[in-house]
Amino acid sequence: MPTELPTSNGNTAQDGENNFAVKAGLARMLKGGVIMDVVNAEQARIAEEAGAVAVMALERVPADIRAQGGVARMSDPQMIREIMDTVTIPVMAKARIGHFVECQVRSPRTLPILEALGVDYVDESEVLTPADAIHHVDKHPFRIPFVCGCRNLGEALRRVSEGAAMIRTKGEAGTGDVIEAVRHMRQVNSDIQKASAMSSTELYTYAKELGVDYALLKETAKLGRLPVVNFAAGGVATPADAALMMQLGCDGVFVGSGIFKSGDAAKRAKAIVQAVTHYKDPKVLMEVSMDLGEAMVGINCGDLGEQEKLAKRGY
Amino acid sequence: MTVVLPDVTVGVLALQGAFSEHVQLLRAAAESLALKHEPAQQSQTRWSFVEIRTPEELARCDGLIIPGGESTAMSLVAARSGLLEPLRDFVKVLRKPTWGTCAGLILLAEAANRTKKGGQQLIGGLDVRVNRNHFGRQVESFQANLQLSFLGDSPDKSANEPYRCVFIRAPVVEKILPHRDGVQTEEESRDATVVAPSKAPGDQLAEKETTAQVEVMATLPAQTPALHANREHDDAGTEDIIAVRQGNVLGISFHPELTADPRIHVWWLGEVLKAVERRRQFDLVHRSAS
Repeated sequence: MPTELPTSNGNTAQDGENNFAVKAGLARMLKGGVIMDVVNAEQARIAEEAGAVAVMALERVPADIRAQGGVARMSDPQMIREIMDTVTIPVMAKARIGHFVECQVRSPRTLPILEALGVDYVDESEVLTPADAIHHVDKHPFRIPFVCGCRNLGEALRRVSEGAAMIRTKGEAGTGDVIEAVRHMRQVNSDIQKASAMSSTELYTYAKELGVDYALLKETAKLGRLPVVNFAAGGVATPADAALMMQLGCDGVFVGSGIFKSGDAAKRAKAIVQAVTHYKDPKVLMEVSMDLGEAMVGINCGDLGEQEKLAKRGY
Repeated sequence: MTVVLPDVTVGVLALQGAFSEHVQLLRAAAESLALKHEPAQQSQTRWSFVEIRTPEELARCDGLIIPGGESTAMSLVAARSGLLEPLRDFVKVLRKPTWGTCAGLILLAEAANRTKKGGQQLIGGLDVRVNRNHFGRQVESFQANLQLSFLGDSPDKSANEPYRCVFIRAPVVEKILPHRDGVQTEEESRDATVVAPSKAPGDQLAEKETTAQVEVMATLPAQTPALHANREHDDAGTEDIIAVRQGNVLGISFHPELTADPRIHVWWLGEVLKAVERRRQFDLVHRSAS
């Protein structure tokens, strides 16, 4: 079950001259909402009208990246700019894992591309082709906040140590199959439960095992949840999928290909938004699930080769 | 002799955003109040803090907080959840104490600009025009320690210590509007400005709260250090209005729910108690007179 994230959390953490509370605060404002992948301004408007709390601007949705193959890179800043000019909700953009220059493209002050562009959040994402085989971006020096993917508690806390102000479980992007999203959320929950039951002596060893900072693990164990906002991602295609992830304890949901690869994008988008707000209300969930038209075709994650899994990217 | 006060239920609109944070601070504020009061008195007000997602839940509330979040998403979800009209009734017809932070301030304004294409639905209740995302995007978000004149005490901080105000893609009150009995027609005729629909107050007390003067509760000086690097703010006036109230409705452009400091919540719960008491007195007189 979802646990409260104390308001004091991250309050005093200084990120150089950036205050972490301001970065993590925006993520708190997105809670209980849906963040939708969009590839152009028209889709961004549909998402905004559907009640999305933010959009993720990218050139190809994960399903197309998967189908077309090749190297997936940061989107054209011109396209992201158009989307920023079109909608008033926050705009996020993806950068490749470890590609700190792509991240820089998005603030004028620290002159990094995504920071220069002024997007509201950067997703250092496994959906794009990683640029660094060992390192993630050091996210502390940036004024804009970062969201990063995880499959387990170890990955999540390593990203938080690097400065991520928001976490999402990876799932398996572009499949429309929710099984991996559930697997990763359950794994995170189970890792935290295990940590919560440990003595401090055991926690030192567990921190070593997970490859994470001891103090951060201890804090997480005490909270009984991740120390930052955590959304679900990777495979959510229906209102019921979204509510499932919420009931598993996520704070909100990313929907990638699931909306604009379906028959009636606007209707499905609205339905998923309603489902995330009313995730415990079976009556609402039934109503919004009716007559939605075709869902995205999807790929069974079980049919994917290990090499085809995007979630394996990241360290 | 003890006076038995009614239980007071305060709701936090939980469609989206930082509702859990407000509930946490309300709990902390209630604890502060209990500590401060005489032992004989402290058991009297029994608070109940609840998350609101349906009209039925809203109907049980004596007061309401509309939290920070995305105001466009919140108003769309409210409309689809059959909550928009009940919210307007709550704020404008019943005129129960209501407090909005950030997105909540936008929703409580009678007029707003820089909304999404096609505008957005407002609840209204405060005769002000707000400017959405006034300071710009997330890179322009900041925090500032400000002296606020209306704080309550908390166990670890007295009312006259500065309050840490977190502004995230924050709106400000751009203009205080004269009260109109109907909609804000002049605002409606402005370009790119949306207005809230009019609803007549349900009785004299509601009318009195509705027609009260808009009070400026706090301003942000333009020389705030956090704003020095802020390009969008260069040509702005000398100070921005960041907190207003009109009768029992309060709007604040920053996020008290992103701090561990319950002093605004302590003060506001006191205001809720006063409003509940005014309502109780009014109903007593009204009932005996009729």
